[in-house]
Amino acid sequence: MAEMQNENPTILNLADLPTRSRSAVKTSDQPSGIFAAVPNPADFLSSDSEDDDLLEEPIDEQEIYDLIKSISDPEHPLSLGELAVVSLPDIFIKPTLVNVPDSPLQTVTVLITPTITHCSLATVIGLGVRVRLEQSLPPRFRIDVRIKEGTHSTGDEVNKQLGDKERVAAALENGALMQVIAKMMETCQ
Amino acid sequence: MSALQTFMLVVDHDKDEAKRIADSVAQDVESKKSTLIEIVQQLGEYINDEDPILRGKAVSFLTAVIKALSPRFLTRQQIQVLTTFFSDRIEDGGAVAGLMNLQGLDRFTKELAVEIAQALFANFQDLQSRSQSQRFQVYQLLNELMSNHRAALREMGDDSLMGVVDLMTGEKDPRNLMVVFSILKVVMIEWEVTEHAELLFDSVYNYFPITFRPPPNDPYGITAQDLKGRLQDCISASRHFAPHAIPSLLDKLDSTSPNVKKDALNCLIACIHSYDPDTVSKYSITIWEVLKFEILNAQEEFLSESSLEALSAIAQRLSEGVTQVSQDLPLAQYLRPITKECNEQLQEPQHKQAKPAQQILKSLSSASAATFSIIVQTVVAPIFTIYQEADGIAKQRALLETLAVLFQSAVHVFGQWTTRGGEVSQENPLLEFKDQFSDILGQALMGSAKEEISFRITALKGFLGLSTLRDFFQDNEIGLFVQYLDEILLKEESTGRNELKKEAIAALAEISKHKPRLIMDITFPAFVATLPDEDDGTNSLYLSTLDTLAQISVERDIFETLFRRLFSKLSVLLQKEQPGSAAYPRAILMTLLYVMQQRQMDADPNIDLYFDKVVVGLCRSVAESASGQGKNQLFNDPTILDTLGRLGNLLVRAASAQKQEQVAQNVYSLFSTGGFDPVPFSQGTTVDQERTIIISTYLLAGISKDCSHLIPHAASDMSGLLSDLVKRSVSDSAEPATHLALLRHLALLVNKFLSKQDLVIAETLFDSLVTPEGQSFSPAMIRTILWLSKALVLRLAPATTHILTSLLGLLSSPDRQTSEATARGFAILLGDDDVLSTTNGATVRLLSKQRVFSTVIPLISSRIREVNIAGNTDSTSQSYDHIKPAHLTALAGILSTISTALVMPELPTLLPLLLQSLDLQTSDSIAVRAATLDTLGVIIRDNGVVVIDKCGHVHSLVQRLLKTTESKPASSGVVNSPRLRVDSLRCLYLLATKQAPTESASNARIPPSISPLLPEKAQVLRSLRAVLDDPKRDVRKAAVDARSAWLRSVDDAPEEED
Repeated sequence: MAEMQNENPTILNLADLPTRSRSAVKTSDQPSGIFAAVPNPADFLSSDSEDDDLLEEPIDEQEIYDLIKSISDPEHPLSLGELAVVSLPDIFIKPTLVNVPDSPLQTVTVLITPTITHCSLATVIGLGVRVRLEQSLPPRFRIDVRIKEGTHSTGDEVNKQLGDKERVAAALENGALMQVIAKMMETCQ
Repeated sequence: MSALQTFMLVVDHDKDEAKRIADSVAQDVESKKSTLIEIVQQLGEYINDEDPILRGKAVSFLTAVIKALSPRFLTRQQIQVLTTFFSDRIEDGGAVAGLMNLQGLDRFTKELAVEIAQALFANFQDLQSRSQSQRFQVYQLLNELMSNHRAALREMGDDSLMGVVDLMTGEKDPRNLMVVFSILKVVMIEWEVTEHAELLFDSVYNYFPITFRPPPNDPYGITAQDLKGRLQDCISASRHFAPHAIPSLLDKLDSTSPNVKKDALNCLIACIHSYDPDTVSKYSITIWEVLKFEILNAQEEFLSESSLEALSAIAQRLSEGVTQVSQDLPLAQYLRPITKECNEQLQEPQHKQAKPAQQILKSLSSASAATFSIIVQTVVAPIFTIYQEADGIAKQRALLETLAVLFQSAVHVFGQWTTRGGEVSQENPLLEFKDQFSDILGQALMGSAKEEISFRITALKGFLGLSTLRDFFQDNEIGLFVQYLDEILLKEESTGRNELKKEAIAALAEISKHKPRLIMDITFPAFVATLPDEDDGTNSLYLSTLDTLAQISVERDIFETLFRRLFSKLSVLLQKEQPGSAAYPRAILMTLLYVMQQRQMDADPNIDLYFDKVVVGLCRSVAESASGQGKNQLFNDPTILDTLGRLGNLLVRAASAQKQEQVAQNVYSLFSTGGFDPVPFSQGTTVDQERTIIISTYLLAGISKDCSHLIPHAASDMSGLLSDLVKRSVSDSAEPATHLALLRHLALLVNKFLSKQDLVIAETLFDSLVTPEGQSFSPAMIRTILWLSKALVLRLAPATTHILTSLLGLLSSPDRQTSEATARGFAILLGDDDVLSTTNGATVRLLSKQRVFSTVIPLISSRIREVNIAGNTDSTSQSYDHIKPAHLTALAGILSTISTALVMPELPTLLPLLLQSLDLQTSDSIAVRAATLDTLGVIIRDNGVVVIDKCGHVHSLVQRLLKTTESKPASSGVVNSPRLRVDSLRCLYLLATKQAPTESASNARIPPSISPLLPEKAQVLRSLRAVLDDPKRDVRKAAVDARSAWLRSVDDAPEEED
């Protein structure tokens, strides 16, 4: 690999990354800790019912974040989440057609913050995020990946590349580039 | 023809005959019929022949004869003559082998050894042009001389040293190199090598790095690792190699191949361990300068780990014999640039390279007490400074983590309160900073914002490390920490995932091992004070308090206190007229149960006390409650009785044989002193009275088999007792908990206590239950039949096959309810049970599961086929359409209780059945399908796609899995619950990730073939795209994983693995 551009970036601790708190849902009724080990004898015939079946859980910003935070940086063995290249407040989900309230179409916008302002790999990272989302979101989502304003010296240029369908498609035909992106996504589980 | 001539004729093609000839000649020599002289003279004709093959055969004859002689036959003089003879002709075939024989004889001398060695060195200049086996023989001879006559060779000095090197130079065969390296290692260690260090070093270093790869099916079994090991032993053999070895090895770290770098590092570590400290010291800083980059800019984790190991090894060597730390020590000089670098990196503790700096400190500071002192002296003060000036909590946390690393090393070097070893005479240098640590950690743990969980956890762990460090904190200082932990647990609201509280409990539990007194004096009173007298239903905070108490009370003294306190709480509750909810006393009992499960109760000196209080005392109270003499209804509650039963069971198992006999006699009377009528044979039993069978069952499970003659009504003939239990269990009137206890009781008696010759009683009972065929059975009846079957099948009673076929008969019953209830009950048959378990001494034969499976599967399979055919030809047989689902349900029940290893041989029969299970669509089939997906998941995970492909079912499986991933509106009648959807996605994911079987990859190169999944790829990707929009988040997550696995791994040709 060529010389690294940013050898010593700041990293966030994994434990501090935003996560979905599951505590709000069902803890009250279930026995916890040591009390879970002994089954209640009344349970032995009843099958577990799934009554929260009908509750719908729409795709939200946290879910988008969870999809992309584990992508590896092409330069470091660290994830985009740990390097704060992607962050929860920089992800937005909006209806695509504001005038058609019933339309299921939605647009996901992800703003990327490169670790340094002249990072030449910003385009690759953007492409990686884009590919990951295209593979993981249903077709009714439009995906918009951009460099956050003022964080990159040639941000406009990169945005043009990332926003241009033709250019994205052409880039994805490039074997070497796809290999880099596949490598970045190996850590997504 | 003479023996010699015959020998020369046959030696090439008939080894046995040749050996026979030599043996007989040797016998003649030993019996003095002929002499050695005569034999040598016979050779005369051939040994000067021009043809080397002829010469070789002649010499081989002599060798073969000598080999056949008994070891003590040859005289010293004969040996001498023969040695000279062979040495003169050493280049002829057979001579080396002859010498090999001679040098092993007792009468062989030093001088002769030198003669052979000289002959070898002088005559084999062209050794490398000879065949591998000839070279091997020469090395073998040399190796034997080395082990038998080493002193003689050593006295030859430079002659033997140069001779060996000359002989082996150019050797390439791995088999030969294994011998050569071990010869050279001896020379390097035992000869005077100063003059020839470079020559010797080069002779082996030429082979570095080893790139040898054994050919497939290598018959010699030499691996690259074997060669690497021997080469490494040579390179590290002598400190005189250091000027050559260390720079060369460090150069190799510039290589682009991680494997070469790894070999170089391993070799370097070997050198550090083997060279003397002065030599190591000379190169220590050079090594650091190079390895620094491997650690700070780690390419591969294993390279950074090996580099750290090397640095730590240097520190260990330089600490040898150091008793007084000073700045002039070579150790201090070595550490100076290292700590300087680490301090610089730690200036920005959140940056990426702070982490490797931390690792350097970690591995070096744990190397020895001396390095620990030097590092603490130079590193801790600067960390305090940065900490004070830090502009954010994240930065402070990173610094606390670094301190925690040092605390770990301190524990490693100085030990914990209760561990042995690590007695170091030096004073712990951390003591100087003790108060500062206490302040900073206390402030971080208790003084920062409550929601800074990860920061506080870091502080907590640091504090815990210091608290367990031997001879560091005073008891009152640890006590302060314990108070902080109590405060967190008792006063703070739960936030997030409760991690801080979990860590606090773990910390108290850890401290309880080292300082139990502090826990008893500080934590116990504080916690017990918050326990209410009764649960009035307003809050259940006592649950978390009891949870904590349970987890910190595993130590003996603490447990005794816990038992006394909780038992008195319980006694008070039992005396109350208004005792509140049953949940509270049950929680108290569960707390005691949990702790007893963690402890070795049979080794507890207080076991008799616990036995008397719980087994005798509380069981008696149960009997009183059952006969209406209790103060309240607590001991009439089935959930309390169940928990108490478990507690009693555990104590009975741990009790002495004598106590167990008491229990056996009181199984039904429950130690009552009057007024209680035991359940068996009692007429007009009340519900309260019958409920005591729960306790009886747990007690019965706990006692040993030897007590069976003491159990009431079971001594001579058990049939009456069994019939009474069956009568009670088939009636539908019993409460569920009582009913289960009756069933378990019946099963225990039949499985554990019924003697072999009395088994027929149980079998007759079984027949009497199932005989009226075709009639409708109540659910209670069916469960009784299944539990009785379970008891018999687990001990592989003679009637096992008969029982299983009878059960399958019930499955095919025309009565829908009978059939369905039986099907659901099949899981009981082999399922694990808390009471009928091996822990409780139940008879569970090893082959029982296999027997049931292999008997039942073919029968189910053929029955389903019959039903399928009947269904196709005769559409009127509507009344039988429950039979197929019932069989599939029964199958799922059995599969959920056995391991997949048993399943694999039957897979071709089984797989079509599993696929048919997935075809069920209604909501009442959810459990069956879930069990089926579980089984499929395990099969795929352990065996890969191959096994499915072999049965030819990949396409059908994928189709059905995809169908199960669809989320359909309830109105369609098709129900795929979220769990089913997740499970089938999981199976799809496993299919894609387990395309190649895991173990066989190493020994056989699989020819690149087309994945059997490839034809399915397009459809899977298309279908899963829709699942990405599932309303449930967990389903979407599983769909993303499955889809990306198919995108990534399903391809035309399998990836080439290196």
